Amino acid sequence: MRRTFVYLISSILLCISVSTALAQKKKQIAIPADSTRWLNGFTVNVDVASLATSTFINNGMYSSEAGIQLDLKHKFFPTIEVGVAGANKVSTDNIKFKTNGLFERFGVDFNLRKKKPDSKPTNNLFTAGLRLGMSNFNYDVTNVTLADNYWGGSTSINYPTQNVSKIWYEFVIGVQVEVIKSFYLGWNLRIRNLISKDIPGEVSPWYIPGFGQNKSSNYGFNYTVGYHFWPEKKIVKKTNVIIIQKKENQITK
Amino acid sequence: MKKYIFITLIFSIFLNVSCVTDDTCIQTKYVKLTANFYLTNPKDSIIANRITGFYADSITVQGLKYDSITKLYQSVDSILYNNKKVNTIDLPLNNNSTVSIFKLKFKLKLKSVVDTMTIYHSNINDYLSLECGCIVTHAIDKVTTTYHYIDSARIKVYEVNTINAENIRIYTDSDKIKNNKVNTINAENIRLFNK
Repeated sequence: MRRTFVYLISSILLCISVSTALAQKKKQIAIPADSTRWLNGFTVNVDVASLATSTFINNGMYSSEAGIQLDLKHKFFPTIEVGVAGANKVSTDNIKFKTNGLFERFGVDFNLRKKKPDSKPTNNLFTAGLRLGMSNFNYDVTNVTLADNYWGGSTSINYPTQNVSKIWYEFVIGVQVEVIKSFYLGWNLRIRNLISKDIPGEVSPWYIPGFGQNKSSNYGFNYTVGYHFWPEKKIVKKTNVIIIQKKENQITK
Repeated sequence: MKKYIFITLIFSIFLNVSCVTDDTCIQTKYVKLTANFYLTNPKDSIIANRITGFYADSITVQGLKYDSITKLYQSVDSILYNNKKVNTIDLPLNNNSTVSIFKLKFKLKLKSVVDTMTIYHSNINDYLSLECGCIVTHAIDKVTTTYHYIDSARIKVYEVNTINAENIRIYTDSDKIKNNKVNTINAENIRLFNK
């Protein structure tokens, strides 16, 4: 109930922030990225949703991540995401699971926004993309009780320092809006599918850093705050200066 | 702008649904050895060699546990089958020992006959998940019995786990049955099986 309430509140806040961002967009003069250039700078994003979830929702899991997104022709956005995540979970039978680990994701986003000929220039993005995620991590499973209901007696088993590598892929869909000059707010939804599944007989982890709870498929949500480096303004200014100088030269001639 | 808000709301609702986690175990944890009764020499049966069952009226099955104080084998308090008319018995093997002993009491028309079946096995701890914990599966090494009513026992499937399989066949002697003056097959005690 509490979790649903928190998500409801965050959803409303998200709607407000997106609408505010769009409203602010109208007020400022947007300088569009140059679609003829291959490299249009890069954006550094920090995920706020994972930080907020880790702080406000006590579900035994925490995560924080950041990423770098290159802007190629304002169409393709190769992305690298790195983060740290962990879980400290106790089951209803008092079995304890603990893990901490790093994770990485590589992939590319594609800008789905079609540029209309009469539309105002903008840097806002509506993207869809793919990621390949991986994590190598250690985990402990302790206090596994084995009770014999018929013959009697019980024993407790511990599985300390288990190590595993997991690989998964993600479908990502999201929005990025330039709120203030070079500052971006955005969100994205991810559907994750595990490639390396559990081997029968192994002590499987309950949680995979960067993937979430160990299931064949999982969902993820990021709310990002980003800053775009190498702003196009400088490039535009330079090109304007060159054009003005050329015009002046033509007049003097 | 309306389009963006609509997409955001749809995804937020989707997220609310997907974030509900289930911490209950949905896997079966019931590990048991299955033993079926067969007739060694079913001369009286209509479908010879394809009939399971025995001529006893009922069976009582109970585990026997070694008591280190009295240095004797004592019956476990809980009775697995109490005067039941069955052709198949499911037996729990001891998780903390490699030997499980069962007392099988066959109630015949005139008297009761007791046999003891000893199962030697190894135990394997099998971790399932955080929700389900661990189960103990077994591998049967050897089965020995006394031969008062039981003729012999044969291992069919060595692995004892959650999969439903016929692990042991217990053969009962029809000549012994004849000596007990039982001449008819009770239809309820007949079960066909596929090889």
